[in-house]
Amino acid sequence: MTLTHTVCGVDHAAFATFDPKATISFYRDVLGFPVVHATCALGWGPESHPDFIHFFFDIGHGDRLAFFYYFGVKPYVDNEIPELLRRARHLAIHVDTAEDLAEYRRRLDESDWTCELQVRHETVESIYVTDPNGYLIEFARPLRAITVEDDIDANFSADALMAVVDEDQPSLARFFQIKADLIAARYAGEAAEGAFV
Amino acid sequence: MTTKLYVLDVDDFRPLAQVAAKDPDVTVVKRGPYYEVLAEAPFRIERNATGCRNAVWYSSVAAVAGGHITQWDKDFLAIEPTAGSAHEAAGSA
Repeated sequence: MTLTHTVCGVDHAAFATFDPKATISFYRDVLGFPVVHATCALGWGPESHPDFIHFFFDIGHGDRLAFFYYFGVKPYVDNEIPELLRRARHLAIHVDTAEDLAEYRRRLDESDWTCELQVRHETVESIYVTDPNGYLIEFARPLRAITVEDDIDANFSADALMAVVDEDQPSLARFFQIKADLIAARYAGEAAEGAFV
Repeated sequence: MTTKLYVLDVDDFRPLAQVAAKDPDVTVVKRGPYYEVLAEAPFRIERNATGCRNAVWYSSVAAVAGGHITQWDKDFLAIEPTAGSAHEAAGSA
């Protein structure tokens, strides 16, 4: 059975902030993200942090980026978090064009939070910046359309990944082998066509 | 053992299959949405000949059967057929 797919993007992604002033400066005043909602909660939270402000920035298409500021809570900094996790956990905000990407880079480079990296990945070009809270934020613009072939390949990859992690020593070499077997099995009944001949 | 390198048929990756096809010891066929690059002996694809930029080059391999990657750097993608068990050889690649 195919599951229906009716979700439509990000309602909001939420993070904690211990520096709401810098956070609002960065997102609203530097990047130009409108503040679109703020919940001011008195005694609503649990005993350890009953009072908080939950505020939201519009990041396009009605999607929102939200922060919690908790009154009376000491700033918490996790210095133990591995760099790998710090880089992996990031929010990528979509822009449509190279001009839009350049404009957000310009805004960053004229602020206290300059662009740290600009790179052309396989399907997107991205700029990266660490926000005032230490969260990695990416802006990405498409370099090419994602095709039905990409989707088919991604599903073979997903199935091969699920299989390889069950092995004693998962490796990319074994992943490639398993995926090749899945591809061969899927198209075994179809005649191969000569290419570039 | 025949090595099968699968390359997805999209504009970014197609040059790998096209460059591989110029090798007289390599056969390239279309298999579903993939190019299947077949070889009985070690072969390699020169990156410069593909024109692939960095990120595309390093994401261009969809799958490999019957062989293992022995080189995948800024210059070449090289694949050798696996002797004996595909599982053991691939695991040691």
